[in-house]
Amino acid sequence: MADTEPVSIPMTVSVPYRFAAGLYLTKCLTELRDHGKLYAVECPKCRRVQLPPRIVCAECHVKNGRWVELGNEGTLVGFTIMYLPLTDPTTGKPHNPPFVYGSVRIDGATSVLDHFIRVEPEIEKVWVGMRCRMVLRPQEVRIGDLSDILYFEPLPGQKRPGDGTQG
Amino acid sequence: MDERQPSQPFEVDQRLTAHGTYWAGKMGTRFYAALRDAQQILGSPCPKCGKVFWPPRSVCTFCFDELQEVVEIGPLGTVETFTLVTYAEPVHPRPAPFMYAVIRLDGADTGMAHFLDEVDFDQVHVGMRVRPVFAERRQGNILDIQYFKPA
Repeated sequence: MADTEPVSIPMTVSVPYRFAAGLYLTKCLTELRDHGKLYAVECPKCRRVQLPPRIVCAECHVKNGRWVELGNEGTLVGFTIMYLPLTDPTTGKPHNPPFVYGSVRIDGATSVLDHFIRVEPEIEKVWVGMRCRMVLRPQEVRIGDLSDILYFEPLPGQKRPGDGTQG
Repeated sequence: MDERQPSQPFEVDQRLTAHGTYWAGKMGTRFYAALRDAQQILGSPCPKCGKVFWPPRSVCTFCFDELQEVVEIGPLGTVETFTLVTYAEPVHPRPAPFMYAVIRLDGADTGMAHFLDEVDFDQVHVGMRVRPVFAERRQGNILDIQYFKPA
């Protein structure tokens, strides 16, 4: 029917917004900004340590009360090598692929943080179980959102386990 | 909570962004190609009820007949309704104040919203005659018509 080439329309939806972080996330973000520390909450019932912290335990629906200060090291529990430009929710700008994005379980936490993993985007260079360290912006330029965490980088001196044929 | 409990409300700025591309469809393709290549505005007439749609579409919204033909409409048109945007929002395509109008082109039975510019806002009225201003570099999208202005 159409005697011309198909026409496609590029569209970009870009909506800036602002949310109130609430009591618990505010503490987490301001501690991260001001002291470079990660704070999580422990559920009084199931003892899971939730990060980012929420007032209510996502599993047992009881009020979380006890704050737990965590370190800056953790374990990679899942990852993906991105070949598409993931849009950063803090800036709306795309990240240039390829890059590694993964879930890190901070030591002592039950839940995970999803963030950039600063390794070469090759399947041989990243693995589940890799030990990582959180790298923050310099304190004077931290703004109090999750972009204050720049990325996780692998601890030095690690080797990929196994015979190298997996993956 | 311990003594580090924050006393000030704390807000976080984020941005929700999605990039995409959609196919304009059979009728949309003809519409945008004619607009881009010939500064022609096309509508699609219904063979059954005779209504002419702008923008052109493949199915009549009144009798559900299939639409296959296109006819040139406009370029002059009439303001059917309008609104003055007086406040700024980050998602607005232009800085405020600016005016949106629904314009029914001559030869069409439906109106479409577009910008109304180069106009004294106080003079805009329903029934005002307007004409399109085409973009110099046309890329096959609706902003190949930059805006409408008084005829």
